[in-house]
Amino acid sequence: MGNWERLVWNQRNVLLDGFLVTLEICAIAFAVAVAAGLGLALLRLYVRPLRWPAIMWIEYCRATPIYVQLMWVNYVWPEILGWPTTFYTAGWVALALQSSGYLAETFRTGIENIGRGQREAAYAVGMSPLLTFRRIILPQVLVTIAPSIVTQFTVIVKSSTLVSVITVQDLMFQSQRLVNVWFEPIEILTATAAIYILFIFAVSAAGKALADRLRLRYGLGT
Amino acid sequence: MSENLRQMLDLGLFWEYRSILLAGLAFNFYVFAASASAAIVLGFLAALARVNPLRPLRWLGAVHVETFRNAPDYVMLVWVHFVMPLLIGQAIGMRVTFAPFVSAVIALGLVYSGYLAETFRTGMQAVPRGQIEAARACGMGGVLVMRRIILPQAVRMMLPEAMNNFVSLFKATTIVSLITVPDLMYRVQMVTQQEMRPLPLYTGAALTYFVLIWAVAALARAGSERWRRKIWA
Repeated sequence: MGNWERLVWNQRNVLLDGFLVTLEICAIAFAVAVAAGLGLALLRLYVRPLRWPAIMWIEYCRATPIYVQLMWVNYVWPEILGWPTTFYTAGWVALALQSSGYLAETFRTGIENIGRGQREAAYAVGMSPLLTFRRIILPQVLVTIAPSIVTQFTVIVKSSTLVSVITVQDLMFQSQRLVNVWFEPIEILTATAAIYILFIFAVSAAGKALADRLRLRYGLGT
Repeated sequence: MSENLRQMLDLGLFWEYRSILLAGLAFNFYVFAASASAAIVLGFLAALARVNPLRPLRWLGAVHVETFRNAPDYVMLVWVHFVMPLLIGQAIGMRVTFAPFVSAVIALGLVYSGYLAETFRTGMQAVPRGQIEAARACGMGGVLVMRRIILPQAVRMMLPEAMNNFVSLFKATTIVSLITVPDLMYRVQMVTQQEMRPLPLYTGAALTYFVLIWAVAALARAGSERWRRKIWA
């Protein structure tokens, strides 16, 4: 147990710093991905001329591995667009890019599952398209897809381990740095894996509980 | 700006190295084939454990599934490559090292066995209980019921989800370059260091993976849908 104390417990501040960076980059990526996913779904559904570009972009994001996208955003974007300028930005941009494609499809199926009749009824009582979307469609969509959105957050956390490759100092980066200092990987890497597994397990369990509550409250299937 | 754009679209550099890069892509397929086989076997065993009447086995199955399904691929890869050989070495009192390829297959096989076990389990549990009871009443044994009644139906039901799992597994094979398995991404990095032109190389790699995965995913979706419809029609 001496090793565990020396290598893991005494390094808790370093690991905690790393974990906070992981949380931060995942939170940013998640927020951007939800906004971008909704935007892409709306473009695909309601903006005729942008339908095909949106579909292609969504398919591209969904069918490319996250590691490849990370490298692409990190090395290629700065040269064409002059942005992102830091590894940290490149990290969350790549994570958000990947998830925006998945979330766009989630939003789209959610929106399509709401009967046309509701929209027509809202128009008939004089609501504008924007108001209809905000007050009638979006709340119902959010309730049905909330579990999938939580699942997508766990995917972001899993993928976020890769940003350590481009030197973002997240939990994975810090633990590998500790391994390189002490040359004793067993305890450090096992603890790191355990932290990730427990955190992701907790998030999915919370997501499942949320899904059950929503189903009970609104009588919706998932 | 336009010069850069021209460079990015000039995939000639990517084409120039095609034989090296193609050999790298072959490694993606090797890793995929080996870890998919491992994941199918392990996942099936875990799924069987989860539906077993014996409580300790059910628990074991649940622990397996929840551990590996919630583990990030990359963390698992690093753990298997750097920790697992040391643990085995301590246990048998010998120095053990894993070749990168072996680590990649073990890590991805374990992670995706977790996902596949859940897919298998939902497929098996979707078969109505009455059928199983009827088969038992006709005198069929447990193995026979599994082979003749449950599996033929379960496989069809879980096919689309299993296809999704396999597509994810193929995408995950790109990270094996991080423990120096010489796959496509690894070679792209090597060539980039040589040529100092990341633009066409990384764009080429991204496009290659996109076309490949998108086409395979579309085919798999169409194929499994058609097969399902043929059976269930």
